[in-house]
Amino acid sequence: MTNPAMRDMGNSKHLDVLAVGKAFKGTPVMSDMDFRVGRGELVSLLGPSGCGKTTLLRIIAGLTPADTGEVMLDGRAITTVPAHRRNISVVFQSYALFPHLTVAENVAFGLRARGVDKAACGSKVSEALALVRMSDFADRPVAALSGGQQQRVAVARALIVDPVLLLLDEPFSALDRKLRETMQVELKTLLRARNMTAIFVTHDQDEAMGVSDRIAVMSAGKIEQFATPADLYARPSSAFVMGFVGLSTRLTGKVVAATAERITIKTAHGLVIAPGKFAKGTEVTIGVRPELIRTEPGENTLSVTLADAMVLGSKTQLHGRAEDPDRLLCELPGMRSSFAPGEIVTFGWSVADTLVYEAKT
Amino acid sequence: MTGTDRLALAICWMIAIACVIFLMLPIVITLAASFTSSPVYTLPPPEWSLRWYQSLQKRSGLWDAVTLSLNLAVVSTVLSLILGTLAAIAVTRGSFQGREALATFTVSPLMMPGLVVGVALLQFFREIGLRDAYVSLLLGHIVITLPFVMRTLLASMAAFDFSLVDAARTLGLSYPRAIVQVLVPNLAPAYLTGGLFAFLASMDNYPISIFLTDARNKTLPIKMLQYLEEQPDPSLAAISSGLILLACIVLIIASRTVGLNRMVQG
Amino acid sequence: MSGRAERIGLLALPGLSFLAVIYALPLFMLLLKSFQIDGEFSVAEYVTFFGDDYNLSVLWRTLRVALLTTCLALIIAYPTAIIMARAKGIWLSIFLVAMVLPMSVGVIVKAFAWTILFRTRGVLNDTLMSLGSTDAPIRRLFTETALIIGAANVFLPFMVLPIYAVLRQMDSRLPEAAVSLGATPVFRFMNVTLPLSLPGVVAGCAFTFSLAISMYVIPSLIVGERQQTLSMLTGRSFLYLRNEALGATISSILLIIAISVVLGSSWLASRLGARQ
Repeated sequence: MTNPAMRDMGNSKHLDVLAVGKAFKGTPVMSDMDFRVGRGELVSLLGPSGCGKTTLLRIIAGLTPADTGEVMLDGRAITTVPAHRRNISVVFQSYALFPHLTVAENVAFGLRARGVDKAACGSKVSEALALVRMSDFADRPVAALSGGQQQRVAVARALIVDPVLLLLDEPFSALDRKLRETMQVELKTLLRARNMTAIFVTHDQDEAMGVSDRIAVMSAGKIEQFATPADLYARPSSAFVMGFVGLSTRLTGKVVAATAERITIKTAHGLVIAPGKFAKGTEVTIGVRPELIRTEPGENTLSVTLADAMVLGSKTQLHGRAEDPDRLLCELPGMRSSFAPGEIVTFGWSVADTLVYEAKT
Repeated sequence: MTGTDRLALAICWMIAIACVIFLMLPIVITLAASFTSSPVYTLPPPEWSLRWYQSLQKRSGLWDAVTLSLNLAVVSTVLSLILGTLAAIAVTRGSFQGREALATFTVSPLMMPGLVVGVALLQFFREIGLRDAYVSLLLGHIVITLPFVMRTLLASMAAFDFSLVDAARTLGLSYPRAIVQVLVPNLAPAYLTGGLFAFLASMDNYPISIFLTDARNKTLPIKMLQYLEEQPDPSLAAISSGLILLACIVLIIASRTVGLNRMVQG
Repeated sequence: MSGRAERIGLLALPGLSFLAVIYALPLFMLLLKSFQIDGEFSVAEYVTFFGDDYNLSVLWRTLRVALLTTCLALIIAYPTAIIMARAKGIWLSIFLVAMVLPMSVGVIVKAFAWTILFRTRGVLNDTLMSLGSTDAPIRRLFTETALIIGAANVFLPFMVLPIYAVLRQMDSRLPEAAVSLGATPVFRFMNVTLPLSLPGVVAGCAFTFSLAISMYVIPSLIVGERQQTLSMLTGRSFLYLRNEALGATISSILLIIAISVVLGSSWLASRLGARQ
């Protein structure tokens, strides 16, 4: 098991995407994209569909050529190297197992493509299958496998060739929730053990938070923020990131007073004070993480009419009545069944916990 | 895309284009040859003229042959559509043994040598004393058209959601009415495709028809081959061009209603 | 519920009984008759048939032409199907029309067109004729070549479309997976595209071969009486020679070949399918 402290965190380059641009039929999908991953890092590209995350993945894999920019691996440019010579393995969303080959033959495919003859493959294939616990299925046709089993075979097939980089395109999206969580842990363990650098593409923030050392949150072809899950959650760099990663109370408003370090914002539900420097009159969005809000007065206090109280076992979510795009959400630990819709409650939280961003027109 | 990929694709493109030209060649030749002014086939025509189209009026028996062929094609196709619907429902929804075999059986005439079927029918009809040429031809043409209809209907019905029929029945329609008012309209593309291909196959058929005709009942293909032996002038190219026009009309109807790609994939 | 399901089976009865009486029964009777002389079981007709050198040459020619036609069609069809599977928009429409229009126009029109080509005063025919008048075997070769080309032309869509259908359905991620695993273009084709396209190839070849074996109009028009195929011989037996015994025998041979092709190809298809 690699010591977490020894992981690269992007400081010395393993994979380097420099100023990459790509357009499809005249419409630019991304331009001037910079992206850096360190050796042994597990990174996710997270974003809504159409944000360009799959395109970036395919450019790294060599399956789609970039229009501009360079892709570097260990300091060497691989931009013009054809995909089959990059030694970058891909696990596809649908797993793309070859239906005319057995499980063992699928796993051996990469080795055979490199000229290893059938006999020599044997032991490596057994090893790879054992690693993903699919040894019993070696001679089965792939059509008979369940989703989770297919995924394991796809991973074994990708890893057996000792790739320098592993790319995974929504590898868990076809699995049901329980299986998803098990597979995420399994895969993460496997990759860590080999100190494998891996990039995941996903639209599911829970998944990204679960498997990654760092997450690149993408929107419309740009990386909005590239940081650890903790940083993304506690210090999102934009309203988009705040909204995409985790839940939050969010309100729009206008700055009515500003001091050296604080601003006062007038919202539809009352005045809110936040740390920051914005000029009077600026339209802003403020946000607070729900677990940082209490149902008692604080430095910021709002009076909220409850729309719903959801008791979710380990926590209770209080939803306040608010007009779109505003949201009033407070999360209390444990089960609190004393709240009823229509009740007036107090939301209170500290100024330091308030996030504020300039509203984009 | 490696250099090898690009080269391979370029070669494939060249062959594909050559293939398209190769396939369209007979049609273009026929059309070009039909507009010639000379009494023998000359390509390219020395002069463009409609004389051979006009001469068709004087061809004996041509009109009768055309009407007989159209008649046989339409009637046999309609009967096949009815028989085929029933059989396809039975195969898709029934639960008896040998459904697969039944499906294969109904489509099998396509793979049998037409000639052999013609011969077999000739002898059989003679054995049972059927002398009427029209009836013999009609029965034979149903054997031709039914497989075309079955092929498309079976594929479409397998994909059809029969709970629509059940829904119609809960709303008050009897089973037959539900079939007619719900199943048939929803499978319209399959009916159209299967029906059109069946129609064309019947219009084009020679090997079965030749054994079942008599002096007074000759289908268009038979008449055409007869003309070829007696008087092979370019008016035959004109008749062929008429058939090409028919095929074009049929295809335009099909592609507007069903779409070319749907049609090809059954 | 089961009562109704069984009753649904009865719906097939009209179609089934029609085909049984008007299709299967006559064929069966024909087959039976070929093994009879004067009501008694006998293979005498078959013995006579296979004993005649001329008949054997016709049989051999029929098989040879069918085989070569299938090969020619496959060589042209496979690359075409590959391009069609990738085509979009206007190009796809062009290809589809090029396939479907000739199919819809029919055998008669197309065979006619080839005779026009060969009867016409033009460069092609003049060249052929001058070559033909010098050397008889070459002329025969050209005639058989003409037949193969004409037949391949007529049957080409039947070879292209099954292969196209299979290639189009193929998961486009599969070749990409192969590439990401390090497969060169050749390796990728031989180990992914080709094996997965085989069901279409088998279907196309089976259909084309059986059509080519039993074709009647095309050889009649392109080749004529000079070089007969089995079908033409059958036609002649019934229509001109009035030798029904011979006709029945040849018909049965054609029938047996056709049935073997159908059974053989579906066995092959299920072997391939079992793997998938």
